[in-house]
Amino acid sequence: MLPCTYACNTADHVLSRRAFLGSTRSATAALGVAGFANPIAAAELKKKQKRVLVIFMSGGLSQLESWDPKPNTDTGGPFKAIQTAVPGTRICELLPHTAKQMHRLAIVRSLNSQTNDHGIGTTVMLTGRKPEAGITYPELGAVSARLLGGAGSALPGHIQILPKGSSGFGGADAAFLGPKFASVSLGDGKPPPDLFRPGNLTPAEDEEREAFRKKLNSRFAKSRKSAATDVYTESFDQAEQVVKKTTIFDVDNEPAKLADKYGRHDLGRHMLLARRLLEAGVSYVKVSHSNYDTHHENFDFHIEQLGEFDRPFATLLEDLADRGMLESTLVVVMSEMGRTPRINDRYGRDHWGAAWSVALAGAGIKGGAVVGKTNANGTAVADREVWSGHLFHTYLQAVGLDSTKNFYPNERPVPIADPKASAIREILA
Amino acid sequence: MFVHSRLTAVVALLVLPRVVLSAEPFHVHIDKHITDGFGDAKPQAAPRAGDEEFCRRIYLDLTGTIPTVTELNEFLGDSTKDKREKLIDKLLASPGYARRMAWHFDVMLMERGRDAKVTRAAWESYLQSAFADNKPYDAFVREMLSSDGSDPKTRPAAKFFLERGMEPHLLTKDIGRIFLGRNLQCAQCHNHPAIDDYKQADYYGIQAFVNRSFLFPNANVPTAVIAERAEGDLNFMSVFDKTKKLYNAAPHMPGGKLIDEPKMEKGKEYKVKPTPNVKPEPTHSRRALLAAAITSDENKAFARNAVNRLWAMMMGRGIIHPLDMDHGSNPPSHPELLDELTNEFVKHKYDIKWLLREIALSEAYQRSSETPAGLENPPNDRYLVAILKPLSPEQFAYAVMQATGHTDAERAALGAKGTEAQLDARLAPRLAPFRSALSHGGTNATADTFSATLDQTLFLKYGNAVRGLLPPRAGNLADRLGKITNPDAIADELFAAVLSRPPTADERKDIADALKNTSDRQKAINELVWALVASAEFRFNH
Repeated sequence: MLPCTYACNTADHVLSRRAFLGSTRSATAALGVAGFANPIAAAELKKKQKRVLVIFMSGGLSQLESWDPKPNTDTGGPFKAIQTAVPGTRICELLPHTAKQMHRLAIVRSLNSQTNDHGIGTTVMLTGRKPEAGITYPELGAVSARLLGGAGSALPGHIQILPKGSSGFGGADAAFLGPKFASVSLGDGKPPPDLFRPGNLTPAEDEEREAFRKKLNSRFAKSRKSAATDVYTESFDQAEQVVKKTTIFDVDNEPAKLADKYGRHDLGRHMLLARRLLEAGVSYVKVSHSNYDTHHENFDFHIEQLGEFDRPFATLLEDLADRGMLESTLVVVMSEMGRTPRINDRYGRDHWGAAWSVALAGAGIKGGAVVGKTNANGTAVADREVWSGHLFHTYLQAVGLDSTKNFYPNERPVPIADPKASAIREILA
Repeated sequence: MFVHSRLTAVVALLVLPRVVLSAEPFHVHIDKHITDGFGDAKPQAAPRAGDEEFCRRIYLDLTGTIPTVTELNEFLGDSTKDKREKLIDKLLASPGYARRMAWHFDVMLMERGRDAKVTRAAWESYLQSAFADNKPYDAFVREMLSSDGSDPKTRPAAKFFLERGMEPHLLTKDIGRIFLGRNLQCAQCHNHPAIDDYKQADYYGIQAFVNRSFLFPNANVPTAVIAERAEGDLNFMSVFDKTKKLYNAAPHMPGGKLIDEPKMEKGKEYKVKPTPNVKPEPTHSRRALLAAAITSDENKAFARNAVNRLWAMMMGRGIIHPLDMDHGSNPPSHPELLDELTNEFVKHKYDIKWLLREIALSEAYQRSSETPAGLENPPNDRYLVAILKPLSPEQFAYAVMQATGHTDAERAALGAKGTEAQLDARLAPRLAPFRSALSHGGTNATADTFSATLDQTLFLKYGNAVRGLLPPRAGNLADRLGKITNPDAIADELFAAVLSRPPTADERKDIADALKNTSDRQKAINELVWALVASAEFRFNH
């Protein structure tokens, strides 16, 4: 099967993620020697610190081929609905491994995100806001990094793993929260090149020059200490710590058996990397899986795409649970929109935001819960309609945050989540 | 005769006070106001900066880079009393001045936006010639707000409008912020809820100048020009008003008079009528009124904003701070000084060099940035101690190139006949990575907005833009240092080149130790250069 290209050719796709990164540097440096974080410290961290993991099904996952199947209807397509670990809850047969994890998952089947556009949909889903003139809202990743950020972690709090492309810092997704909380992008899971000591600089030389730099700074600080100079010198301390941890980006440090279970393909590797990052204390990781924009051959493409997604995702939930991390990690499977119930003449499904689904698991989530309903053939929400504002409140409350509070950019209150919406209580544990 | 002498006496009386005033250089007035503002802390104000400190500061502020070792030594070796004044004048007349001002005004006006309609090269060259000619500030702004971009010669001046796509709300916000020091954005939908001075009518008063204009043929075309319609009334209502009363906005500056507009006879509204694919031209252009209205002497906010921004460039903080928050509940730190600066700037025909020169000559500017013992956390708005200014990405890039001797090496490679312009053409291409790594957000950081993110630090630590400048090449710093055997002499040259000062005894010892214990002397030297470049002392203009 040919790789799916975006059929609608919107500017959003043409620009792709590359423009988003603003960097064309590629990772070339070799990764460091294998090393694990101190297991006791890691266990402590696991308990206390909350984290968020988003699996972003880029292009728009079909709700009918996943969380809200409608077999034997005019819109249902060829696939069956199968039993899951939760009696009475059925999902599409393309997700057999995920079905066994259903007791850990909650599904919201009544999402009306009110847009059929990739770009707007992405913003709406990641910010929990409808587009507004005059203000740009920070994405969930920046909000999570800002509010959950472990004070002890030197690592960036907001990381996105992209299927391909370059790696770099400074995503345009933190808005008024500032560049500190902007995403670091890992194209194909590779960290940005500047993270690695150049080959022609030995650790001893690096240490020596650092020691001298620090001496200079402390002399300067004797008479010219200020908040700005402190920020500057501390940023070098942080960089030093991050550089020491670069092995966390290397999934080769994982046992081969586990890596096999995740799957020896890009998405499997990216999901495993996500777990490593969360374990090391990163507050928010987003893994994008591309591409679900199936205007043609929707069913074949979903066989392929979900075939790739199902096992690593189920493995990830299990792995998080085994490590005691699931209870402190919110996992969300979302897209920028769903797909039309109507099947077009190319056996495709088109853009659709009016009635689709999102799945959640982990921290603060009531496993096995299903909330909301679409009508018999999925063409409209039939019960408990929600939009992304509700979900945004839900995500934050699931990780123990008060989503009704404000940020204060320029000393002006800006609600963290849209005050017109509230959390979906039914799925909160 | 009697009558005549009496007349002379009257004239003398009238003229005398002014003569006295103008005999006293203006920087003396600056210091009078600043010293008055010290209050009880006066005895604790930092002393005058030493020559090294002053030299580095003024080079960075007026030329955007640090002095060469030769320039530094020349200044230190000068024993004349007015050597600081001479240096200020020399730098204001140097090509580096135009380059520095172009960088500064580029960021102020365009806030690191895109270069879709006017290329970076054309824009920078336009700015540089404006500052090299010391074009009066009002004339400069009139030019930018008058060009419609159709004449290739004046197109770069239209960049402010063109890159903003002639979008009325964006323009209203940015005209208010950048030229009037007032961020009226919150007055778009209602009178500003927290700032009484910012009225919705003023917001739309500015917008009325530009809302009939648009880009022709459309905003997506890189060669688009500015066109205008003859009609398009601007009405607004407050979202707080339950009666939804509509107001009509007539063009005016905030707080200023409404501008009288000619009534157009029906059928005579256009010089060129709008038809498909034809750029319309109205008989009466509202946009054409903007340049004159904004720069008119009656619109005090214009000159006031300009002096405040230039003051902030030199002093690290605006008298009104933040720079775009000029309103009653955010009073200036030195209101009388600001008024005098504004009036004198207008009297001196918006002469930017005059203003910068007076500021640079003031004691306030020349004060040391070292906090005197016993003075805890001096408030920045009193100027008791010189404020540390983070180097802009451009200053940082040029300062790193100078510090590592890259600039010296390029100059040497050009030979004796090389010009400053040729040198600049070789250095400028290295700006891009520094700009993209060190500029977060649209404006340059100040002492109170400075941030250092992980990626910026990694860029400085391991990135090739800095690292690539370290190894020896003919005439650069590492090369020069590598040829010196005496460690003290190495330390002297290293500190002069990078930090524009001699090393302390401790620092000389550090250098000697570092070179003693190394197996690869040249590499050790390269990394010592890095350590100085990565120090806080280098990162700030202090």
